[in-house]
Amino acid sequence: MGALFRDTYRYRELIWALALKELRVRYKRSVLGFLWALLNPALLMLVLTLVFGTIMRFSAPHYSIFLLSVLLPWTFFSQSLAYSVESIVGNGELLKKVRVARLVFPIAAVVSNIINFLLSMIPLALLILVTRFPFHWTWLYLPIPMMGLFLFTLGAAFFFAAVNVYYRDVSHIIQVLLSAWFYFSPVIYSVDFMPAKYQWLFHLNPMLYVLNGFRLGIYYGQLPSLQSTAMCLLCGVLSVVIGFTVFRRYENSFVYYV
Amino acid sequence: MVENQYSIEFDDVVQQFRRITERPDTLREVFAKVRRHRINYQDFEAVKHVSFRISKGEVVGLIGRNGSGKSTILKIVAGVYTPTSGSVRVHGSIAPLIELGAGFHHELTGRENILLNGLLLGLTKRQVGEREAQMIAFAELGDFIDSPIKQYSSGMYMRLAFSVAIEVDPDILIIDEILGVGDAGFQQKCFDRIQRFRDAGKTIILVSHAMDNMRKFCSRLLLIHNGAILEDGPADHVIDRYEALIRQRAPLSARK
Repeated sequence: MGALFRDTYRYRELIWALALKELRVRYKRSVLGFLWALLNPALLMLVLTLVFGTIMRFSAPHYSIFLLSVLLPWTFFSQSLAYSVESIVGNGELLKKVRVARLVFPIAAVVSNIINFLLSMIPLALLILVTRFPFHWTWLYLPIPMMGLFLFTLGAAFFFAAVNVYYRDVSHIIQVLLSAWFYFSPVIYSVDFMPAKYQWLFHLNPMLYVLNGFRLGIYYGQLPSLQSTAMCLLCGVLSVVIGFTVFRRYENSFVYYV
Repeated sequence: MVENQYSIEFDDVVQQFRRITERPDTLREVFAKVRRHRINYQDFEAVKHVSFRISKGEVVGLIGRNGSGKSTILKIVAGVYTPTSGSVRVHGSIAPLIELGAGFHHELTGRENILLNGLLLGLTKRQVGEREAQMIAFAELGDFIDSPIKQYSSGMYMRLAFSVAIEVDPDILIIDEILGVGDAGFQQKCFDRIQRFRDAGKTIILVSHAMDNMRKFCSRLLLIHNGAILEDGPADHVIDRYEALIRQRAPLSARK
């Protein structure tokens, strides 16, 4: 585990450069460039607000904010995984030629999406201002769930990037997995929407704890319970420990399989 | 011993690869294979119990037929492969010039690629900044440096890649068959640069099929054959042996 901190610090400049490269390449040759990082979520919000504000009426007032408070972190999670699962295989030619610390690739994939995610919070804040939704002081608490979310995502990124080297099926399965996971996580609905009988099942989902703080902080203006916060951070740390251990165990033989 | 006089030490190094011999093409075949527990790969040794030492400041060439294991040895030196057994010790920093421009991204400009590649080769951002002007000058790119490199000609691309790698200024330089970079003028420049590198007392290990270059550069050659060292000695002697080996084998492959 110490190696993770040591190498991340040691290669911080490379990781940062790779993350920026990813963003630059993503928005290159588009007229609006980096603005798309803001426009994408903004346009999504416009659509959601229209649909849920006028056409489909949900019981929750300001449903678009209810939804977006969790949808943005979720999008970060799923996009990070989509990028990082290919991060080792995609850089295979490079790995065959130069000795590079392999952990920089999944980390850079997650970092570039963190930048994107933080940018996407700006249009959400604007939406809250425009719709005169209250700006809760609990926004100040958001760094804690963010920490849990980033750690959880990083661990999953390590794990899937490593496994995908040996079984390319993973990059296909992960799309299905993510959409199933999406519907079983309280993103478009709230936790109490689920029948009491199955509540226990829902509580096995780590994303429940990881996402919980976002909706409470942004939409309800409440702090999560101590227990939920602890679970959020614990899931994050466990994910990194497991993911990085697997990655570390196999990273020396990646080069033979990419 | 006070200071280590060697820059590269190989002790009984073995590199094993797994060669897939028969790939199941359809799902049905996969299931059939799994059920029968048949293994469709074969282990083979690309490098067989190789030992050698290269002193600091030596310029050593590896020669041998295609598939003899030269590049595999270079990749072990570069740290890309972790050998199956044996010990490898490398003292000093390494820059591999194995297929230039491996880390380039064609949508990025020359300047952006310099930074990215410099960092990949182990420089810090500051070091890249300090050397950037030299790299650009050496590559003779002029205004093109701020254009995306997908617009470069293949010569420009190679020149940029060579400049970045050489300006990393490592203790050990690994060169794999890349001496054909650019036009005659640029090639001469590369040679001069490598010469200067050698004069600075650094270690160079290179692979090439151009025997003239090998004779010109290398004080010592290793002849690699079937993953083992067949001959180790002064350039002229080893090249004679190599040519004899080719003559001996050539009729065989011609007959087929």
